[in-house]
This record gives sequence, C-alpha cells and structure tokens, in this order.
Amino acid sequence: MRAVWRVAVAAARRRRLQSTVLAVVVMCSTVAIVVALGLLEAASAPFDRTFAEQRGAHVVAAFDRAVVSDDRLVQTVEKQTSEDEPAVEAVAGPFGQAVITVADIGQALPPGPLTVVGRADPGGPVDRVDLWAGRWAGKPGEIVVSRPAEPFFRELLGATVQAEGGPRLTIVGLASSVSRTAEAWVTPDQVQAMSPKITQMLYRFTEADTDDDLQKAMTGMTSGLPGSALLDWQSYLVVKQDVARTASAYLPFLTGFGILGLLVAVLIVGNVVSGAVVAGQRHIGMLKSLGFTPNQVVAAYLTMVLLPGFAGCLVGTVLGGLAAQPLLRLVFQGVGSTIGLGVGVWAYAVTLLGVPAVVVLAALIPASRAHRLSAAQAISAGSAPRPGRGRRVQRLLSGARLPRSVSLGLGLPFARPGRSALTLAAVIIGVATVALASGLFRTMTAYGDTAQRVGHVHTVIHVGRPDQTEPKLDDAGIEALLRSQPGVRYVTADAWIDIHLAGRPGRIMAQFLRGDAETRGDVLVAGRYLSGPGEVVAPSAFLRRFGLEVGDRLTLALGEAHTSATIVGEAMDTSNNLIMVSWPTLTALDPDKRPTQYEVRLAQGMDVEKFNAAVKTAEPGLYPATKSQIDESGVAITTSTSIFTLLLGMVAMLGVFNTVVLSTHERRRDLAVLKSIGMTPRQVTVMMVTSMAALGAFGGLLGVPMGVAAHRVIVLAMLDAVGLTAPAFLLDVWQVAELIVLMPAGVAMATLGAFVPARSAARMTIVDALHTE
Amino acid sequence: MTTEGEVVVRLERLRKHYGETVALDDVSLEIRAGEAVAVMGPSGCGKSTLLNMIAGLDRPTSGSVTVHGEELSTLSETRLALFRRHRIGMVFQFFNLIDDLSALDNVALAAQLTGTSAAHARRRALDLLDELGIADRADLYPAVLSGGERQRVAVARALMNRPAVLLADEPTGALDSHTGEQVMDLLLDLHQLGQTLLLVTHDERLAQRCASRVIAIEDGRVTGERAMEQSA
Ligand SMILES: Nc1ncnc2c1ncn2[C@@H]1O[C@H](COP(=O)(O)OP(=O)(O)OP(=O)(O)O)[C@@H](O)[C@H]1O
Ligand SMILES: [Mg+2]
Repeated sequence: MRAVWRVAVAAARRRRLQSTVLAVVVMCSTVAIVVALGLLEAASAPFDRTFAEQRGAHVVAAFDRAVVSDDRLVQTVEKQTSEDEPAVEAVAGPFGQAVITVADIGQALPPGPLTVVGRADPGGPVDRVDLWAGRWAGKPGEIVVSRPAEPFFRELLGATVQAEGGPRLTIVGLASSVSRTAEAWVTPDQVQAMSPKITQMLYRFTEADTDDDLQKAMTGMTSGLPGSALLDWQSYLVVKQDVARTASAYLPFLTGFGILGLLVAVLIVGNVVSGAVVAGQRHIGMLKSLGFTPNQVVAAYLTMVLLPGFAGCLVGTVLGGLAAQPLLRLVFQGVGSTIGLGVGVWAYAVTLLGVPAVVVLAALIPASRAHRLSAAQAISAGSAPRPGRGRRVQRLLSGARLPRSVSLGLGLPFARPGRSALTLAAVIIGVATVALASGLFRTMTAYGDTAQRVGHVHTVIHVGRPDQTEPKLDDAGIEALLRSQPGVRYVTADAWIDIHLAGRPGRIMAQFLRGDAETRGDVLVAGRYLSGPGEVVAPSAFLRRFGLEVGDRLTLALGEAHTSATIVGEAMDTSNNLIMVSWPTLTALDPDKRPTQYEVRLAQGMDVEKFNAAVKTAEPGLYPATKSQIDESGVAITTSTSIFTLLLGMVAMLGVFNTVVLSTHERRRDLAVLKSIGMTPRQVTVMMVTSMAALGAFGGLLGVPMGVAAHRVIVLAMLDAVGLTAPAFLLDVWQVAELIVLMPAGVAMATLGAFVPARSAARMTIVDALHTE
Repeated sequence: MTTEGEVVVRLERLRKHYGETVALDDVSLEIRAGEAVAVMGPSGCGKSTLLNMIAGLDRPTSGSVTVHGEELSTLSETRLALFRRHRIGMVFQFFNLIDDLSALDNVALAAQLTGTSAAHARRRALDLLDELGIADRADLYPAVLSGGERQRVAVARALMNRPAVLLADEPTGALDSHTGEQVMDLLLDLHQLGQTLLLVTHDERLAQRCASRVIAIEDGRVTGERAMEQSA
C-alpha cells in the first residue's frame, strides 16, 4: 500500500499542471455545487423552514383587555394544556399590545402608527424572534424594531423615535418575526405605560394544517371566555400565502438553476478526471511492467486523481460557503422576504462526500479499462495517439485551401476521438448552460414582472383599519380624491373578503374589483377578463385545486347571502385560494361592504412617493404603500444568473484548457518537429486554438438547441409544479436571430479555454523533444 | 569539385551552458557555401548542441551565430521560425516525421507553412520524392515505411524550401549499414549538386565519403580540423 501511495503522490506531483487543472476544475464545480445546494435549500419552502426555526405562531390572537384579564387567559391555557390530548402545543403570552404613533425620523422607519408588544425577551416557546442586530430592549425607553435582515437597516440602531403623546424611545435592536407578531417590541413595563388595549397571545397547535383546524382550535381555546373577549386573530396560513405570493414567483426558476448547476458541475468533473486517467495510461503500463498488480494500479490512479480532487473539493467547499451567503442574499433580496438564508450542514456533507465520489466514479471507468490492458498495450496506447485515426480527414484537410496551421488544427480532434468527444460534451454543456440561463432569465423576468404587476400598479392605498386611523372620507370620496390627484391614470378599488364556495368546505379569499380592474396587469391564459356582474376570474392553481374550468358556475357565500357567478377567465397566478370577482357580485352579497384598498397606476414618470405623500396629507386615514417595481430585483436576478453562468462557463472552459494541456503534452514531439521546420509561434497558437474552436463551433451548434429544449422542459415542469398553465410568452422567450447569435458562444468558450495552453505550446522549448525517440 | 564560396555559417566564441554543464566552450568556425563539413567527437561532447545553435532551435549563452548574413541572437522567436523555414533544412537520427500525415504530406508541409498552395506544394514534394527514388511510397504513412525510406522522406522535407544549409544529426545512426549506405549516397549526391552540408556523425566512413572537412570536438571545444581527400 505504501508503494501505491508513493507512486500516486509522485505522479500527481510530476503532472503538476494536470493536477492543478483538475484541482481548479473540481474547486469551481464544488463552489457551484455548494451554491446550488444552498439555492435549492433556500428555494424549497423558505417560509416553512423559517417558521419551524422560529417556532412560529400558528395563531396570533388579540384579546380585549377590558373584557378579559391576563390571569384569566393564563388559566384558560392551563386548563387546555392539562387535557389528555391537548390541542395546543405551546403558548406564549400574555403580552401587552399598544399602538403608538411615531413621527417621521427621516430614516428607514415610516412615520405613523406602530403596533408595539411588550416582551421581556425574544425567545420563548413560540415566536422566537430573530434578533439580527443590536440587543433586546432591557429597560423603558428602549425599543426593538421589526425590519427584514438587510444591512441597510442597521442605520436605525441608536436612532430615537418620539411617540405621539408618549415616551421617547431609542432603537436598540432590529428583529424579524416570521409570524409578524408586532412592528416593534418594548419591555413589558414600558408597554404598560402606553395604555395597552389589547393582550396578545401566541399559540402553536398540534393540528394546524388547514383553516378549519385553526378555527376549531381557537374555538376550544376561547370556549370559557366571554364572546367579545377575542377581538381578532391572524392565521399563519394567511402570512404564508402572502409570502408565497411574492417569494414563490422566482423559486421554481431558482430551483431549476440549482439543479442545472449540480448537473453541469458533476459532468465536467467527470470529464476532466477521466481525461486525466486516459492520459496516464502510459504510466499505468510502466507500473504494470514494474510488477504492480492490476488492483494496485487502479488504486494508484484513483489516489492520483483524488489528491488534487479532494484538495479542490475542500477549497471549493470553503469558498462556496463564503460565496453562498452574499450570493443567496443577492438573489433573494429581489424576492423581498426575510427568510433565513444559508447553507445547511447537510449541504456541506453532501458536497464533501459527493464530489470525491464523483471523482472516483469518473476515474474508475477509464482506470478499469487500463486495468484490462496488458503492460505493453497500455504503454503504446498512452504514448501517442493511436496512428491511423482520422487520417482520411487529415489527407482531405492537407489538400484544402486553408492556411496549413488551420487545416492541421482542424485535423487534431480526429486523432483522439474519445477525448474530443469528452471536450465536446463540456462545450455543449457550457453553451447549453448559457442558452438555458438566458432563457430562464427572460422567463423569470417576464414572470416576475407579471406577478409584481410591474408597470401596471405603482402604489396601493390601504384604507385605515379600526386599530389605525380611520378615514373621514367615504368610499366615493376616497376614489374621487385619488382620481383628482395629478398624474393618476387608473384606479382600481378592491375589497379582500373571506367567502365560502357553496358545497365546499373551507374559506377562500375573494378579491372584488371595481373601476379600472382590467389595467391591473392580470395575465389571462384562457377566457376573458371581468366585465359584468356575476363574473369570476380564477388563477390556474385554483382551477386545478378544485377541478374547475372556464365556463363553470360557482355559488359564492358570504354569511347567509348567496350569489352565483361564472368563471369567465383563467389567470396566470400561483394562488390556489384566491379568486377575482366583479364588484356588482359583492353588492349582491352585501351592499355595505367597502373597498379595503385602492390600486393606482400613475402616468409615466410621475413620482410615486410624492403622490403617496399628497394622499396621506389629504386623508390621514389612508395608508399608501409603494408597489415594488421589479427593477432592483431584476438587477439582482441578472447578477446571480450571470454569476452562475460565468461559473459554469468557466468550468467548461477549464475542460477545454485541460484538453489542450493534455494534447500539447502528448504531441510534444510533433510540435517540436513543426517548429523545427519553421512553424512560427503564431502558427502554433492558431493550430491549437483552431483544433478547439472547431469543437467549439460544433458544440455551439448542438448546445443551443439543447439549451432551448432544456429550457422548455424546466419551465414546463416548474410551472406545472406551482400549478400554472404555461402561457406562450414564458416559453418562447427568444428571437431566432438571438439564438443564432448564441451559437458562437461555443467557439468563444473553446478559444478562451485553449488560448493560454496554446500560447505556452508555442513557447515550448523544442530541442529535447527532437532528439529522443 | 567544391567551389568555395561565401561564408554561410559563422560561429564566433560560441558558448552554451546548461546549468553547471558546459556543452560548448568558445567555439569559432566558418562554413562556406558548397562545403560539406562533418562534426565528430565522443558522445556528450556537444555536437547536437552545435547543430541546434546553428538551426536557431536554442539560444547561445554567449558568442554569436551568423547564418546567411543574419545574426540569430537579434531575431525574435517568429523571425527565428521564418529563418528556419527558409534557410535551414534539418535531418534527425530518428526521422521525426508526423505519424498522421502521409509521406507526401509530410514533405509538402514544409512548403505549405510558407503559404504555398496545397497543389503546388504536393507537386514539388512529389518531384523531390521522385528524385530521391521513393515516389512510389508517397501515399504511405511513416509507420509502414522502412528506416531508410523514412530518412529519405525526412531529407526531402528538409530540402523542400531550398535551404542554405542542410543540417544532419547522425542521419544514419538509426539505420542498418546497408540503408545507411544509401542515405550516405544521397547526401553525397546533394553535396555534389552544391548543397552546403553540416553533418554530425560517429561514423568515420560517412565522414570520409561525404565531407570535405572534418571538425573534431571534445568536451565542447574544437580540438582539430582536417581536410578530406574526397573518395568518389
Ligand atoms: N537541454 C539540456 N539540458 C541540460 N544539459 C544538456 C541539454 N542538452 C544537452 N545537454 C548536455 O550538454 C552536453 C552536450 O550534449 P549534446 O547532446 O550536444 O552531445 P552530443 O555530442 O550530441 O552527444 P551524442 O553523441 O550522445 O548525441 C551533454 O553533457 C548533455 O548532457
Ligand atoms: Mg547528439
């Protein structure tokens, strides 16, 4: 065994360049793998993960302090948890809850009402708040503000806010709660000084999968209390739905990218490793002639590639871990959620075991071939390309009207068909990746724009809730106010109301629309948009869930009232719990219902913030919220797509680099001969680069259609996974001309990869190679 | 027989060190157009090194090499390659043919690198192979040719661009005595046609038959020089 080790170490050292290339390829691929796994992890149910991590509250309940005391609430909980099969798993509270109004501090904290909860610490059995900056409030006068974990918000630390008619508070910490339990936290003493009207209780239930589970659990929870004690409760399912609506838009595509990255990295590592073993066959032959048993030879070879392979894997894992965090943040920042990001231990374990396993597997195939060769066969097989291959091509080429260095280069790949095929595969993968990446990027942007209604809705004006300032203007007054502002083009009034579908259990969300609804940017994949009473447009996912289709009739129920409606269109949307309904339908159900928000589109170039401020001044009971226009996240997605493409493209280039290094090494004598008869360094470079550029051109020709096909498959699969019917504009994202422009990508990759080793071949000293047999 | 012309190769105080090893030590000599010079000496004395310096395959540690009026140390790598292409023909002990090209294409290659059209280069290559008596082997590959045939292909390739000087490093070293003889005859013919020739050999008979002058080297130094009686 010692001999095997020594031989392997010596061989890895002697082929320093080869070993380095192998290590670098494995390293790059490992970085890609770690990032891809992080991406996959982050993209798979980010809400659920964070929710589990923080032991999120299934229900956030608000009790009226005037009706029920804290002691009474605690007793209720004790009674519930002492039952044989308690429905409640964990409880936190009671916490005092107050609403304060803060003045504008000119920083990343909007002025207005702030819901404040008194808590002694961020931990506890439920809702373990992620205190990501600063510390928890320790005494009166201190406040922790809820903000997503973006470095940008750190500037808030140390700032002071003045509560209207209340204390001055210093921001000592920044935290985020996936359960959205408060907008800010203070000490329990401090909240008492703010005359809290509400007591907050946080519950986790044993059964909490559906709305009905939660409803049942809450009924149990409040059974012994006066009917008016429970003011309101918020289900985590609503929060989840809300997160999903923004975040999940990109998740399928990011998942697709992750999988692609894994595949490419594995393929290229396999490519380079087997190349290294094939190139080492001559050496294998010598080992055999020295008396190594076939198994020892294979062991020596595996060790030889594993040494640099493992080194590359280790470094790559570390670099990948370092790169993943900022990269994922970059990617998910556009997604706009506060979910926890990072690479799990499992991902590192998979990488550290998986990558070397791939190296071993890739080495085993050619090594076991060498295992079967006799010593003499192996020596002659490895020493030079087997003569006779590609001679017909060489003959044709030498008579061609091409510069001789070009025609010689064109012939080179035919001398080593096996290796050329491997290199070609690397290039095809690289080109397909570029094509696929460009396609996914476009699909993603198009989809994201649609989901975010980019260019359709600029700002959403929420109507103040009972716990906020309520507007003095009525519905008609508000709409008139909005429409009278300069630069307003369209206004849609919507009411979000929980309703039932007659004959089906559970609640669904209905968005009743009035005004310029058709300008909201809903994308229809079938049917038409709302135009009259009794009409519904439903998302694809909703139709799938209930087995409905356009043309079907539904009976909508709100309390005791019923009305029937027809599904007139299918919208591209991933919600399976939401329908859009024309306003007269709501009037039929309950004529007293009012819009909960107004969606506004402004004319081109209008300042959204200015508009919001004007609205707020005119009617303090309105709460404008600027709709994120995709641009910034578009940039983030572009950046991350480019980084990934670059990484994979580079790995493909290293594959080419590796091939050229190997073939110059093998063809040392031929190169020396060519130089001795007057081939200039430039001609040598041209020859070697041409040999790869030819493969690159071919690779581009094959890679582009493969990338396009892969794009189709991935997009269809991903859209299907989120319950969407694929509209053509997400699939046909390229112009033919653009695809043709993509084809030379292979040539570019091959040329770049070949250039450096080709140049060093051109500079190689030639005397030694000429005088030996 | 040999009309002594202008100086084609001039070496002045040429030194070549490989680390500690002194391969050539203060060598000065001249070769005139039409001369056939043999370099002889024990193994490792620096004969191949001398040839490599003249061919511009390697650069001297000090001293100068002037071939056909060009001082090689002033040339860039590219100019050196062009210099080899146009002024130097080389023949090696182990032929150094390209395995994947036919005999004809091996020979034509030398001209094709200069930009000569394939058809033209092949025509001239075939003429040369014909002159060397192996035109019928033109389409065969090096692997199936005999040693003598391979060496003749190599000579044809070396002559392709009408070099100012033909350098041959032990051209018969890998051949049996009979084929060696044939190659010797070939070189002699070339010499008699006026080709300037510099020949490294261990073989006294080869020197006797082909060379007009013999230079002896030992430990990197020129230790003697004698003119030859030409035996025809
Ligand atoms: N590239 C090199 N690196 C180091 N030493 C070298 C190199 N080339 C030649 N030498 C040394 O220079 C000396 C001269 O070598 P050279 O090949 O010129 O000898 P030679 O006369 O041609 O020998 P032979 O008759 O065996 O071919 C030798 O000692 C050799 O070891
Ligand atoms: Mg020698």
